[in-house]
Amino acid sequence: MSEAAFGTIAQGEPEIRGRISEPRPIWQAPLLPIGIVLIYMGTMLFNDVTAEIRVLLVLAGITGGYLGLDAICQRRWGSGFDTSAWLSGVWLIMIGLGAITVQWLPLPESKLVKNSFGEGLRLRPDLFSRHPLGTNSQELDLLGGVMWGARTSLIISLGAVAIGLIIGGVIGIAAGYFRGTFDSGVGILADSMLAFPPLILLVAMATVFEQNQWTMALELSLLGIPTYIRLSRANTLTFAQREFVLAAKAMGSDNRRVIFRELMPNVALPLLSYAFLVTAVLIVAEASLSFLGVGIQPPEPTWGNMIEAGQENYQDHPHLVFVPGIVMFMTVFALNRVGDKARERWDPREAQI
Amino acid sequence: MLRVVGLKLVRLVPVLFLVSLATFFLIDLIPGDPAAVALGTDATIEDLEAIRKSLGLDKPITERYGDWLGGALTGDLGDSLRPPNEPVSDLLQRSAGPTLRLSAMALGMSFTISIFLGVWSAHAAGNRADRLVSGTMFTFISVPTFLAGLLFIFFFVFRQSVPRYLWVIAVGLIVLRLLYLAVSRLWEDRRDFSGWSGYAVATLVVAGLLLWVFVQWPDFPRTASHRYDDNWREQLRSLFLPALALALSEIAVFTRLLRADMLSTLQEQFVLSSRAKGMPTWRILFRDALRPSSFSLITIAGITLGRLIGGTVIIESIFGLEGLGKLIVAFGVLPKNYTVVQGGVLVLAVGYVLLNAIIDISYQYLDPRIRRGRV
Repeated sequence: MSEAAFGTIAQGEPEIRGRISEPRPIWQAPLLPIGIVLIYMGTMLFNDVTAEIRVLLVLAGITGGYLGLDAICQRRWGSGFDTSAWLSGVWLIMIGLGAITVQWLPLPESKLVKNSFGEGLRLRPDLFSRHPLGTNSQELDLLGGVMWGARTSLIISLGAVAIGLIIGGVIGIAAGYFRGTFDSGVGILADSMLAFPPLILLVAMATVFEQNQWTMALELSLLGIPTYIRLSRANTLTFAQREFVLAAKAMGSDNRRVIFRELMPNVALPLLSYAFLVTAVLIVAEASLSFLGVGIQPPEPTWGNMIEAGQENYQDHPHLVFVPGIVMFMTVFALNRVGDKARERWDPREAQI
Repeated sequence: MLRVVGLKLVRLVPVLFLVSLATFFLIDLIPGDPAAVALGTDATIEDLEAIRKSLGLDKPITERYGDWLGGALTGDLGDSLRPPNEPVSDLLQRSAGPTLRLSAMALGMSFTISIFLGVWSAHAAGNRADRLVSGTMFTFISVPTFLAGLLFIFFFVFRQSVPRYLWVIAVGLIVLRLLYLAVSRLWEDRRDFSGWSGYAVATLVVAGLLLWVFVQWPDFPRTASHRYDDNWREQLRSLFLPALALALSEIAVFTRLLRADMLSTLQEQFVLSSRAKGMPTWRILFRDALRPSSFSLITIAGITLGRLIGGTVIIESIFGLEGLGKLIVAFGVLPKNYTVVQGGVLVLAVGYVLLNAIIDISYQYLDPRIRRGRV
């Protein structure tokens, strides 16, 4: 939700010496299909079995499936292969593709109640049926809802990140380069923006503006801007001392050229590498707003308002909350995982010199 | 020293000014007439005029801001626009209690859990246990708070037996592992009493804990209400789930932080000398290494408290807790009760700024390394 959350993901860790892990033994590879079958049985097949056994099946399936996949990947690409990070990347690509292509897919109705009559009420998820992830209390398809929700979430959070990146990045570079009064003024501005509890601020703004994708992107960018100001200022400070900036100045470059040609290309990469982490935070913020009923309104499905609608009778129909919830969790997890890798790779302050 | 503190205090003034300005002008961004929006459609002209007068909407904007700021500085945040038209400060005071209790409990829980996990995973760095903890923490940080709240309600209230049996299985595995260690040491050398007695005691303790929690498994209520305000046991029980949901991501943040700091402390010479003197591992970890490693943890704890107080909105509305967040959203934002929104946001934001400033200043006293000027 806030800067501290991804600030701490961003904590560097001292290197642990002396342990080079062995690749996972290949005999574990069959665990992958076994795990997948266990997950399938736990979530969809054994609807009449008690909850304890189903939870156990799913947990065992996840563990086994991951170990098996890990064994196969490490066999193929060496023991340094980071399976969970690649898995996260694959999931993000899938979500992105789903969000782009959802309008052309032949999915059952997932938005308008008048078109979904007779589909079946709160159908349980069943992979080999017309509704692979089930239907909700209005007979709307959950798979379609989750994909439309992915599109809304991605448009809003990526839009907010882009706005925050451009505005915050430029202000931060200028503050770090010029220093002095401008720098302290920007610092005060960023401090006051960070002073509001983020969720309360967003909720308060939601009363003021009409909520659609574009206004929500603007509102959420207010969370990203101060963070990006600080990041780009800190990165600029390290670059502004370097020889190539001095050389550019000595050759008579004016401030604009130094900022846009010398500093910006260097600062852009670390800022972009944080974009994943910020996107994850903003997706949660957007879903929280929808959940509270002050974000995007139904019939437009979002993960937040699907969960909100589902919590009414999820005691007996848990899939109403679990389907959008798990998709959202996996997306946020994947963004954090990939973001962590990207930051390690591209943030110069992390690199050991 | 005093100069640095003074500079920080001076810097606080413009931030607070901007915060008050933004809070105040929020009400002016609303399309239409706030008074009309607040009263609804069946208001008479006289009602409207009365509300407009009480909000001061007939005066020029600078004068209104001055009046409001003057009132706010003396603790008068206006009256609620909705019946019963109580003073906003009274409303805020009443709902601050549950929020503070909830945040404090969440903070306490995240501290206890993350100190153990952080120390343990730093000690076992690179091991399977460490990787398990790191992976779990990564999962925790990715669970949105409201999802955590709903999951806890589902599993701890609707399907109680699931966590109960999972507890038995998870802790049972630990007991078996300890038992195996104790027996294998005993097998190696029966005369070396010190080799296995520790594991034997640990096995008994953990097994006892397993049974005790299994038998005493509490019956968590669906909503955390005020009914139990005088009974602390009931209160703990009703606040347990919401606090755990809030604590989840903080546990992850704290554990990662403590683990990283602890890892670098464990490389220090004094740890080596302590080890050379033959101190037991738990003593080295918890008496020698924990204190110098807990510095940034304490700093972030203050910031977290401020953040938790402002971030409990969703948890409060899921668990039906009448706290600050619930007041602002359910009684302020949704019925468009603007004075409550203004007052609540102002109090939270100013509290957050002041808390951060206090931490920042105490930092100056605690850590000699950063006393000199700005970084």
